[in-house]
Amino acid sequence: MNDRICVGAIAGSFGVRGEVRLKSFCADPEAIASYGPLSDEKGETSWEVKLSRPVKTGFAAKLSGVANKEAADALKGTRLYAPRERLPDLPDDEFYHTDLIGLLVYDTGGVEVGRVKAVLNHGAGDLLEITAKGHSEPVLLPFTLATVPTVDMGTSRIVIDPPDGLFD
Amino acid sequence: MSRSVWKGPFVDSYVLKKAEASRESGRNEVIKIWSRRSTILPQFVGLTFGVYNGRKHIPVNVSEDMIGQKFGEYSPTRTYYGHAADKKAKRK
Repeated sequence: MNDRICVGAIAGSFGVRGEVRLKSFCADPEAIASYGPLSDEKGETSWEVKLSRPVKTGFAAKLSGVANKEAADALKGTRLYAPRERLPDLPDDEFYHTDLIGLLVYDTGGVEVGRVKAVLNHGAGDLLEITAKGHSEPVLLPFTLATVPTVDMGTSRIVIDPPDGLFD
Repeated sequence: MSRSVWKGPFVDSYVLKKAEASRESGRNEVIKIWSRRSTILPQFVGLTFGVYNGRKHIPVNVSEDMIGQKFGEYSPTRTYYGHAADKKAKRK
């Protein structure tokens, strides 16, 4: 499980009053402000974020300690990270993508199958993309109670019962 | 111009045959299909189809609210991962 999660990025300055153009990667874009203070990739600098208004491709936002356009320009390309514990708790059978990515995958017989690479959703339910041993291409598995009966965050593993032919 | 109602929904015949065979066998399997143009029918609900996107078969669990759509709508042909951030997945 990651300690810090990338929730957005600074696309550059906005206007001449020290505002930045902020791109949010969150499911609800405006939620990025509630995860503050946000830090840079190394965790050396952190900023409080105040969204001013939505603009094309993101938000105009004011960062604490960024007073002028030059300072805002200098932050262009910076990715913003939030601590994992800032994310609200979820009900049972609901998981953050960031928690699922990287989990080890075992079959019902206890044999290691691979590792979760990504979580996708194309409109027909969530899919786990699994980097499977002995497969050159990742395998997609529906994230349902039938196919993924166990998700154990404590031991960082999931147990799968895939449909016939999926891992052939 | 939309399709005439009297014709009924279009489904490739092999999709119907495969779905029927899978339902009769009762096996938990992914039904591989290449027909992205076929309409999702009520008898497909509960089955899992592997819909080809030009490169691989994407698993599609058919649910009731998908009836009337085409299979291809659930199997994108371009790859985009995006960022995980605070996105959630629900096990149904």
